[in-house]
Amino acid sequence: MGLRKRSAALGAVAGAAAAALAIAGCSSSTSSTPAATGSSTPAGSSSSSAATSPSAAASGPATLTVWRMGGSVPSQVTWMNNVVTQFHTQFPQYANTQVKVVWVPWGDRTTDWNNALSSGKNIPDITELGNTDTPTEAASGILAPLNSQLSSWSGTSGLVKGMLANDTQDGTTYAVPWFGGVRAVWYRTDQFKKAGITSTPTTWAELQADAVKLQNAYPGTTGFDAITNDTNAFASFIWGAGGQIATQDSSGKWTGNLTDPKTEAAIKYYVGLYTTAKVSASKYIGETELGVAGATSGGPNEDFGLGKLDMYIDGSWAKATLPKNSVDTANIASFPIPSENGPNPAPVFAGGSDLAVFKTSPNQQAAWDLISVMDNPANSTSFAALSGFFSPYSAQIAASENTGGAFNAGFAKAALNGQTAPLNAKNWPTADNGKLNIIPTMLKSLMQGAPFDSTVAAANTQLANVLNTGS
Amino acid sequence: MVTSSQSRPGSPSPAGSTPQGQEPDGSRNTTGRSVSPASHLSIKQRAGIWIRKRGVGPYLLLLPATAVIGALILWPAVQVGLFSFQNYGLMQISGVQPAQWIGFSNYSQILHDPEFWQSLKTSVYFALVVVPLTLIVGTLVGLLLVRLGPKMRTFVSVSALLAWATPAVSASVIFVWLVDPDGGVVDWALARLPSWLGGGAHWAGFSWTNATLPAYTVLTVMLVWTGFPFIAVTVLAGLRTLPSELLEAARVDGAGPWRTFWKVTFPILRPVFLVLALLSTIWDFGMFTQAYIVTGDLGNRDEYNLGLYEYSQAFTQPPHYGLASAAAFVLTIILLIVTVGYVRAAIKQGSLA
Repeated sequence: MGLRKRSAALGAVAGAAAAALAIAGCSSSTSSTPAATGSSTPAGSSSSSAATSPSAAASGPATLTVWRMGGSVPSQVTWMNNVVTQFHTQFPQYANTQVKVVWVPWGDRTTDWNNALSSGKNIPDITELGNTDTPTEAASGILAPLNSQLSSWSGTSGLVKGMLANDTQDGTTYAVPWFGGVRAVWYRTDQFKKAGITSTPTTWAELQADAVKLQNAYPGTTGFDAITNDTNAFASFIWGAGGQIATQDSSGKWTGNLTDPKTEAAIKYYVGLYTTAKVSASKYIGETELGVAGATSGGPNEDFGLGKLDMYIDGSWAKATLPKNSVDTANIASFPIPSENGPNPAPVFAGGSDLAVFKTSPNQQAAWDLISVMDNPANSTSFAALSGFFSPYSAQIAASENTGGAFNAGFAKAALNGQTAPLNAKNWPTADNGKLNIIPTMLKSLMQGAPFDSTVAAANTQLANVLNTGS
Repeated sequence: MVTSSQSRPGSPSPAGSTPQGQEPDGSRNTTGRSVSPASHLSIKQRAGIWIRKRGVGPYLLLLPATAVIGALILWPAVQVGLFSFQNYGLMQISGVQPAQWIGFSNYSQILHDPEFWQSLKTSVYFALVVVPLTLIVGTLVGLLLVRLGPKMRTFVSVSALLAWATPAVSASVIFVWLVDPDGGVVDWALARLPSWLGGGAHWAGFSWTNATLPAYTVLTVMLVWTGFPFIAVTVLAGLRTLPSELLEAARVDGAGPWRTFWKVTFPILRPVFLVLALLSTIWDFGMFTQAYIVTGDLGNRDEYNLGLYEYSQAFTQPPHYGLASAAAFVLTIILLIVTVGYVRAAIKQGSLA
């Protein structure tokens, strides 16, 4: 693999000759910013092979299109403008290149990628992807291989190894981790005080009891959101009971674990939050944390902001999507999702986003150059900080562990106990999105009164089938 | 083609412009219709003569419509037909891998998929409810319109047609707001109704969109609302062609409105009702936009109808364009069978009447 990597790198060096020369030429004037040093070092080292190229100025594409996921957030727009300024300074050949950011709702992302690839129209140069999307999208051929770029990029060595491994298939890396994030339970400290709850729950029984207390103290509100269409959150209940969703044996064959006693206990508890404990609302059946599939605001996130929902599960990033007229943002705090019997929290899904170059983009090199600025240690860390994420760089995570107040406490604790499998399996998006929605549909049917054993067994069979065959 | 038949005097016409050599061209002018030599005729005249003689006028008039339908409907339909026998996916549409012929495998996969039968059932039940409801409401409004004065008739039909003209997306979004569990006026009103009218506090926060029956109840109301004005106006047009002597005779014979409708109005307007029923069936059976919005994107697999099922095959990850094409063809065949049934019924009843 090392050999293969090196030859690929040589090819890239030749292809990137113009870019390398430009960086080499200007590195001295911009090296005062950490961003510039980040990218100029490897380019400088390869510039000897590129020195013959005479003209490199202003030959960049007219526009680079970046697909971001979710809804537009003002602070992230400011951050991006700043990145673009750095990009223009650091790569003078792109001085006239406009960077266009397109916001894609999470629910529409695969459709939009497929349409872009198949129609050849409105294609992004760079796209953000959820880290669970990367294996699937890499396999379906929408992402350009980045090995050569990564081997000469200064950022590569500092990235968290596990995150980079998630983006690599058979030795080819298709994306770079941009940030990481975990989910926890959101609550309001003033509400806990009024309801007489002195410490945050660490077991399922306590979580349910506290939801009841909150509903009693705040009549008309809902205690907790047992939504069906967020398997990334629901997974914590399965893992917190010691169960698994599906496991893969050494030959690569998947077995569904939904009918295991521990996993069944988690399903029963979660469904029971709505059906028997009555601490969730019927409208959350069929919803994600942002409302119906494809919505970018609403649902439990909005209800929590407006004081109609007392506790709910979401990532630290969701503060950005709280409604403007939220009732009490000062008292918002978080605790990790409890495990069945405590005292340690349940493992959480280690989520996050990657950046990748779209395979059919005509501006492969320019796209990568922009990624190298967006994702350098300084910029990715400042992005993570302003959006409530974790940096993809080991050193930066270590440095920021102890910063952040009560709001971050739950997330920081949760982050220590992350799990990704099987949510990063190649066929996971087929199983968990779009037409199949296996676990969401199972939870929904159960909450609407379907018989437990046969429903779970059917979902389990289907899950194993899809993970193994892709359909 | 016709323009190329212009030829200089004395020179033979280009071969392509003289089909069967019957063009009134100087040397071979045996028809006697044109007294002057062909070279004196303008292109227009020559073309006119050719068209009249060959009897191709009707076909020429059909040509533009056929071309448009061919390009926009027939050619895509042929493509869909081809895809339905191929393993057509992302790799094939982007040209990375060639498509392979896989026979009827897509069809058998569709027909063995319980989700397909589930969504077919939803579509059939929905059409069975919505088509008659739309026809009944539309006919009643049509009967009302014919009894109104001209000003009131204009007012009522314009108001009704506004509902018909509402774009499907706008109508769906409005209805989703109306039935919103949080701020929707429907739940609010139902919660305040006395219990003997079916109201009560349990309606507060009721979610209309996350189960099949409530979601399709909302869709039924919406499609009847947007569908009846077309029926009403068409029935009104039919009613105004009814000979008034027949209605008078019926009244003189002592027939009430119910009897008059079934014995006089309905038999005469039967062809109109057949066409309306057929069109409504096609529209309601193939409903997509409204269901997509009301059931919440593709988040609720249990609420799919055939349209959503097809769409989900083609546009979720990984896309199966071949499977979706097969599903689309199955839907087309079902609608063709319905259409043939209607047409047969129309012919049969026409001959009996």
